Amino acid sequence: MRAFELVSARDSRHAVALLAEHAPSAKILAGGTDLLVDLKSSPRGPEVIIDISRAEDLKIIARKDEGLSIGALVTHSEIMRSPLIREMFPALVDAAHTIGAVQTRNLGTLGGNLVTGVPSMDSGPTLLALDALVTVVGPAGRRQMPLAEFFVGPRKTILKPDELLMEIVIPKQNLGKPAYFLKFGLRKGQALALVNVAASLWVDWDKHVFVTPRIALGAVAPTVIRAPKAEAYLEGRAITLEAMAEAGRIAVGEAKPISDFRASAGYRLDLIAVLTKRALEGAYALAKAKREAK
Amino acid sequence: MVTVTIKVNGETRTASVAPETTLLRLLRENFSLTGTKLGCDVGDCGACTVIVDGKPVNSCLMLAGQVDGRDVLTIEGLATIDRLHPIQKAFEDHASLQCGFCGPGIILSAKALIDENPAPTTQEIRDALGGNLCRCTGYTKMIEAIRVAARTLRDEVADQPA
Amino acid sequence: MEKKTTVAEKGAPLETVPEAGSMLRLPASAPLATRPIGVLVPEAGHQTPAVGQRAPRLDGRLHGLGQTKYIDDFYLPGMLYAKIKRAGIASARIISIDTKEAEAMPGVVAVVTGRDVPCNSFGPSLKDQPVLADTRVFHAGDGVAAVAAVTEQIATEALDKITVEYEPLTPVLDPLESLKLETPGLHAPNPNIYGHKVIKKGDVEKAFAESDHIFEGSYRTQMVEHVPLEPHATVATWDPNGRVTIYATLGRITLGRADVARTLGIPTSRVRIVATTVGGNFGGKNEITTEPVVALLSKKTGRPVKCTFTRAEEFASSTTRHPLIMDYKTGVTKDGRILARKIRLVLDGGAYCSWSETTLSKACILSAGPYNIENLYAEAFVVYTNKTMTGAMRGFGAPQVCFAYESHMDEIAAALNIDPLEIRLLNVFEEGSLSPTGQTLHSVVVKESLLRAARRFGWIEAQS
Repeated sequence: MRAFELVSARDSRHAVALLAEHAPSAKILAGGTDLLVDLKSSPRGPEVIIDISRAEDLKIIARKDEGLSIGALVTHSEIMRSPLIREMFPALVDAAHTIGAVQTRNLGTLGGNLVTGVPSMDSGPTLLALDALVTVVGPAGRRQMPLAEFFVGPRKTILKPDELLMEIVIPKQNLGKPAYFLKFGLRKGQALALVNVAASLWVDWDKHVFVTPRIALGAVAPTVIRAPKAEAYLEGRAITLEAMAEAGRIAVGEAKPISDFRASAGYRLDLIAVLTKRALEGAYALAKAKREAK
Repeated sequence: MVTVTIKVNGETRTASVAPETTLLRLLRENFSLTGTKLGCDVGDCGACTVIVDGKPVNSCLMLAGQVDGRDVLTIEGLATIDRLHPIQKAFEDHASLQCGFCGPGIILSAKALIDENPAPTTQEIRDALGGNLCRCTGYTKMIEAIRVAARTLRDEVADQPA
Repeated sequence: MEKKTTVAEKGAPLETVPEAGSMLRLPASAPLATRPIGVLVPEAGHQTPAVGQRAPRLDGRLHGLGQTKYIDDFYLPGMLYAKIKRAGIASARIISIDTKEAEAMPGVVAVVTGRDVPCNSFGPSLKDQPVLADTRVFHAGDGVAAVAAVTEQIATEALDKITVEYEPLTPVLDPLESLKLETPGLHAPNPNIYGHKVIKKGDVEKAFAESDHIFEGSYRTQMVEHVPLEPHATVATWDPNGRVTIYATLGRITLGRADVARTLGIPTSRVRIVATTVGGNFGGKNEITTEPVVALLSKKTGRPVKCTFTRAEEFASSTTRHPLIMDYKTGVTKDGRILARKIRLVLDGGAYCSWSETTLSKACILSAGPYNIENLYAEAFVVYTNKTMTGAMRGFGAPQVCFAYESHMDEIAAALNIDPLEIRLLNVFEEGSLSPTGQTLHSVVVKESLLRAARRFGWIEAQS
């Protein structure tokens, strides 16, 4: 690694002050599982590294008025262990479990995963399918936006060099919304997704139709994306396996995967159809189980 | 330079290192704890696994400065002067280490697993070793050893006077 | 918060100096609490019962304690760290190498290039590999210069300060292209086909004419890296009498010693190679790689020098398993008996020979499979391409041809609608069968093994 200066932030406010002082030649260090790898391989790095791994105020998982707030520094392991998240969104637990391996899940953070902006991120789809918001803080104060607007392109987010991702909020109307996550990688541990899919839905049990279905896809476009046409197809439609399969086929048309050494674009498109259908089945099964438990 | 004071294997130690020094290099080069290995330096192989505040992590992915004030357990801290740790004993008995290079990382991953889950299933052991690569021995003998070690540790807990 | 300083303002670079006491850590002076509990030592003159016994691994205890010392765990007083600049281009002529800026860096003690190597070629059979490329680059992982510095980080940074001017050449990447006579030789005037073997038995063409069916198939395997968990590492140090001691992750030290002596232009009696515990070999540590470079840097600086490969170097600059292109043609009777087989193997040898000749022979000998074939013609070629060199790896070509002949057998069985097990039982070696090269085979249990395996995994029940 090239030489840099290391400063440590006590909390998010301190981190923002340090960013204001050192941006744009500074980088935030959270879990380090991506940043340190990048620093080791790049001949020129940032002059200052701002270590926020001790900022306790960014490590909170809490129920708030606006919804469920997950601090940007919550690690993937902490998501897996959180009783609150396990109960409300098992899909987030499943997604966290597919990331890296135990060691990297203990270091890597939810915020870090989103900030990388990589299209194959495993945290993205479920949050997108739950209409999550992100809170960003900078010298001008806080701003909040839908997660979908946070991603700009491959490895690009809306964050300015002096801004910090604070928290991820799942809005209160979606608390407990049945969601399901599926990932297809070349092996179970330490593998990037060839395709990952999340689906969420409410059910109108009287009519037995889909209500506000959401489908999100990863690793098949420059950013994690929603599949709005497939969602529109399902909205208000009677819940059948055929409808789910059709939604999968429609979702294929909304993706623009690339071919690389991991998989061809054609293979990824086939995966989208299958995984979307299965994710919808999973979300529906969860909805049913929740209803029966009541 | 940053000054780093950590508790390693129960002993408080201090070093002054360049900011870009990883925890792995701090342990190996400053503290001479060479049982922690550098295999890939990018968090894939798990040879550098150590336990920080009770959790297994890749020491190649942490800066030494991030660990200041924390508690680190390396492979050197597992045995006592007159007793192998039951995991080490089981690995020896089952010939679970051939070249041995991945061993310290694997054993620490197993330790962290058993600390949290005293009766892991084979699937849980596999999941816990997902971040550790081995190229010679294969995982079968290690999984056997970890099951046996977990049983030994459970028996020891059960045998302790209340 | 600390004041911001640039590297230049820092002046003298920070050296990695182990703390007091750690110099003594060889053979072992770990903190008291971690000292190993007695080590297993076999009794002199005592024959341990082996067959049918469960014997403890003698090295198992120290492995588990983390006390086994691999090369990267060594520190010699005053030791420097070496890094090698890799070409990053598959094929090129080297116009110039400028190392001045790197040499001027604080903390850099010495830089060497191919011109500093007394005899710049080595290899376990053909001496076709430069220690450091000086006039031509044959693959992207070739080293072109090496730096010794007080820390590994400074050595790495110094690599960026070395400027190499290349005249890029069109690389030959396809082994079938390389096989063509009109393709320019990579190592001209030597031809691209640097190994060739033929095994002939009976009359293949005649037997094809008598066959009821002829089947053809083409099979390919990919390049595979050994990925030992321990990267290649070397420490070299010279004594006052002009003898070099090299600690190396090297499996074949006698061969390595001869190669090192040759490249350094000194008698073998001046070279001592110490083989240490190796963290995984699999054939990838069977020959020297950077040992001469590290020895030269040590000689030039008068200090011990260590070089440890990065994981990236392990992939790009160490040997790999040969990719094979395997064409099979087989004549069979209508009940599935093999009458004749013709095989062509093309081994992608990469930039240098390494252990290609051994791999070529073994692949060729085993290419017909464990089957009685009266009429056989197997021909194998190994060719140069501008890729990472291929060499020894577990099986020396045997796994590749196994994939081909067994895939071929399955295809024949499917086409003839014969059970894949049946067609094998009909053709496999039996006690006293002759191998393709005429060796009489004893203790042959292929049939028994196949039947037992078929019973074990329920094949026979599944078919009935």
